[in-house]
Amino acid sequence: MTRVTLSASPATEVGLSFGSVLRRGVLAGVSAGLAAAVVIWFVVEPVIRRALAIEDVRSMHGGQSAPAGLPAHGGDEPLVSRAVQVVGGAVTAVLVGVAVGVIFAVVFARMRERLPGRGDFGRSMVLATIGFAAVSLLPALKIPSNPPAVGNPETVGQRTMLYAVVLLLGVVVALLVPVLDQRLAARGTVPSTRWAVDVVATVVLVVLVLVLVPGSPDAVPPDVPAGLIWDFRLASLAQLATMWLTLGLVFGLLLERVAAPQRALTSVSA
Amino acid sequence: MTTAASASAVSPSTSVRVPVWAWALLAFAVFALYVVSQENGALLSASAAQMLHELTHDARHALGVPCH
Repeated sequence: MTRVTLSASPATEVGLSFGSVLRRGVLAGVSAGLAAAVVIWFVVEPVIRRALAIEDVRSMHGGQSAPAGLPAHGGDEPLVSRAVQVVGGAVTAVLVGVAVGVIFAVVFARMRERLPGRGDFGRSMVLATIGFAAVSLLPALKIPSNPPAVGNPETVGQRTMLYAVVLLLGVVVALLVPVLDQRLAARGTVPSTRWAVDVVATVVLVVLVLVLVPGSPDAVPPDVPAGLIWDFRLASLAQLATMWLTLGLVFGLLLERVAAPQRALTSVSA
Repeated sequence: MTTAASASAVSPSTSVRVPVWAWALLAFAVFALYVVSQENGALLSASAAQMLHELTHDARHALGVPCH
């Protein structure tokens, strides 16, 4: 009877080997990369085509309409054709998905007992949400994505540095707030107060990052419509959100499937 | 008996033992992300880096990393 009640506890209370977590991370990463590639294909590429048309107009005018230092994207003979570039983009999205999946699996394994959420599925979704917010959304808010035809090649180093700094600060915030929460818990603060303090601390830290880190030094060229920029940034965020959402969903579902048979086994042996 | 009991008390069944090589793997994955999303000639030759940039171009834009 005791065994039966034990097996009725959430499926997550099952021991997992690191290898089984890592395999599921790679699988979930491949799925996330493929989902992202589909979003790039149908949502991002149409906007990129609109931006490339602007670059074409610039080079047709012999670079006169393009202020110095703006990308007109290399003359008559491109190194790689557009078709290859589109396929290359899809392959890159899958590679990024796998790499993020591996990192996700290692962090999940390390943090499993500390992640909030119902079962491994809940934990996986919580970690994916934190990942999206910290390393995708926060950098995108400070150094927003831009389509081709925007971006001064001379400032790319500076923008890359700022982007990396914001990304790292996002990770720092994601690590600091749980530490604060644990401190409060150790002092016996009630959960509702802890939640409130956690949320306020997160907002304050994020605002500090957004205010203190300098923004992109680039101005958007006058021949690029604001609507195009907006559409591209939305499309870029859609792609990133799809990647993280798919990663969290697939990883969580795969782990729940690992737990389910073991649970069934326990009830049978009981 | 005592050690087994205390060991199970220290590591609840939700914790996963992360081997040391996993952190090397994580570092490699971060490195792979760098190569795919940011490498523009710091490691590769100029022509190879430009080829890589062109191949990964659309995904770099979509991912929102500064591209050019």
